[in-house]
Amino acid sequence: MAEVMIDAKNIVKDFKISKGLFRGKETLRAVDGVSLQVLRGEILAIVGESGCGKTTLAKILLGLLQQDSGTVELCGSKIEQIPRLELAKMVQPIFQDPYSSLNPRKSIGSIITLPMRVQGEKNSDVWKKKALQTMDLVGLPARMFDQYPNQLSGGQRQRVAIARALINSPKIVICDEPTSALDVSVQSQILNLLNDLREELNLTYVIISHNLAVVEHMATQVAVMYFGEKVEEAETDQLFSNPQHSYTKTLLNSILSPDPRQRNKKN
Amino acid sequence: MADQVLNVENLSIDIPLSGDILHAVDGISISVNKGETLCIVGESGCGKSLTSLAIMDLLPQKAVRTVDKLELNGSSILNYSDRQMSDVRGSKIGMIFQEPMTSLNPSFTVENQMVETLARHRNIRGKEAKKLAVQMLEKVGITPAKQRLKQYPHQLSGGLRQRVMIAMTLLCEPELIIADEPTTALDVTIQAQILELLTRLQADFNTGLILITHDLGVVAKSADRVAVMYAGQIVEEGSVYEIFDNPSHPYTRGLLSCIPVPGKIKRGEHLGSIPGMVPSLIGEFTECRFAGRWGDTLGKEEENIAHLVPIEGVDYAFLVHGTTDHVVRFCCNSCLKKSKSKISKGVN
Repeated sequence: MAEVMIDAKNIVKDFKISKGLFRGKETLRAVDGVSLQVLRGEILAIVGESGCGKTTLAKILLGLLQQDSGTVELCGSKIEQIPRLELAKMVQPIFQDPYSSLNPRKSIGSIITLPMRVQGEKNSDVWKKKALQTMDLVGLPARMFDQYPNQLSGGQRQRVAIARALINSPKIVICDEPTSALDVSVQSQILNLLNDLREELNLTYVIISHNLAVVEHMATQVAVMYFGEKVEEAETDQLFSNPQHSYTKTLLNSILSPDPRQRNKKN
Repeated sequence: MADQVLNVENLSIDIPLSGDILHAVDGISISVNKGETLCIVGESGCGKSLTSLAIMDLLPQKAVRTVDKLELNGSSILNYSDRQMSDVRGSKIGMIFQEPMTSLNPSFTVENQMVETLARHRNIRGKEAKKLAVQMLEKVGITPAKQRLKQYPHQLSGGLRQRVMIAMTLLCEPELIIADEPTTALDVTIQAQILELLTRLQADFNTGLILITHDLGVVAKSADRVAVMYAGQIVEEGSVYEIFDNPSHPYTRGLLSCIPVPGKIKRGEHLGSIPGMVPSLIGEFTECRFAGRWGDTLGKEEENIAHLVPIEGVDYAFLVHGTTDHVVRFCCNSCLKKSKSKISKGVN
């Protein structure tokens, strides 16, 4: 039996939204009783339209937001009880837009080694060695160590973000739309890289995406979210061949197949 | 041709930088017929959007446009004054931009903006204009049209805003619509709806449509003809079936191999990729534009070798399988040799 990496039960998250200056607050339920379980080495994809609570859920799993009710367990211990630094070693994010997730005033080397410095590693030779190893792992040439983000292309920046996430060897990586800001040719490189790294480092991924072709290619398990609720979860093949919920069916119908002969089949 | 809406020949766009020139678009020709959809595909920075801006004469000031022919409905609009061009924009050529959030004015209601368009281009005002606006909103599928007219853009969702943009574009019954990534900012479910709407309206009004996109799914869904752009040039052009069935330029093949196609590639298996980076377009080109990007995109398709028939008068340009609706153009001799295509001597 594989190890349970993420075990989330009945997560609820509310946000208070101001209706106007004197009108008080309104409650918006962003995540409504979602339960998830991810085993070691699995790739769970969370799909749904914008505003359905995917990113809020990811932030809760990362410990960046606290859920209002429900429990999250990472590797068997409750997320609230894991010290901040330990948590950072366990789970790391990769964000959507590599143009805004890297500090433009820091060099690539300093961006990648920051997590090590935060973890209290003092020896700068160790940082550099580890950083160069990680850069090699994600396919960045060593000469980029001293360059700045504005000298890099979108795909290279996303590789930097991946290197930064991996430098402390986390067990879980949460990718929030990892390729939606990239061109298709770069997207395929990044997806290939994520797949290779998973095998090499035995990683567990949670991938948030609205690109269903990417989801079908990557994920082993898919959870569909709609208005804060998880409406369906199944193994990828099963979900794509036999969707149960009507929203899932709508989603699958709106996939644009890259084959001009299929354009009139659906809808 | 009588039903040709737009004809652009040999369009180049140069952007002077300090001490050097960026050749953003390098000698491209496109034409669109009535009721036809031309998709321009390519990666960011290949010059797709600049091409559309050049047709509208909306390029940034320092960009230099050189073009041999720019014809709308058979008459040249190349030497139009600014005043004449602003009559053409909106009324003859409509434009739909990527971000419906930024292309509507946030401080005016939908009604204000739609009625203004009508007043400017068709000289229709007052009740008549409002009636037309309501009709058009209903046509693009906005249901309580009268209430929506009174709303501001921030009160509408992304999909609704894009519908309003489309409605505004159609108000003046343009002969050509240029849609620059119209669905990139939208959810997949909304994207499918908007594309269907565009295709339906285009058939109703018999307009030409230039759809600029980087999503091959969108291309397969809506295009009649496809032009693949790479590094400022059109490298391959043809009917949508030809392009997807017999991609002949290495770049097109690479692009097609990059997208995960359900059923074609096993989960977790490597997707194809185009190694390297788009070359810098600054300065003159001395080497192959595709140098260093060959990778393994070609080897796999051995059995699918295209038979190329040279086109007289144009260097490295060929008809694929001798059909006139599929043209591929290589940038240099080495590029052509590496593509392993068979070249026929004469036309069969």
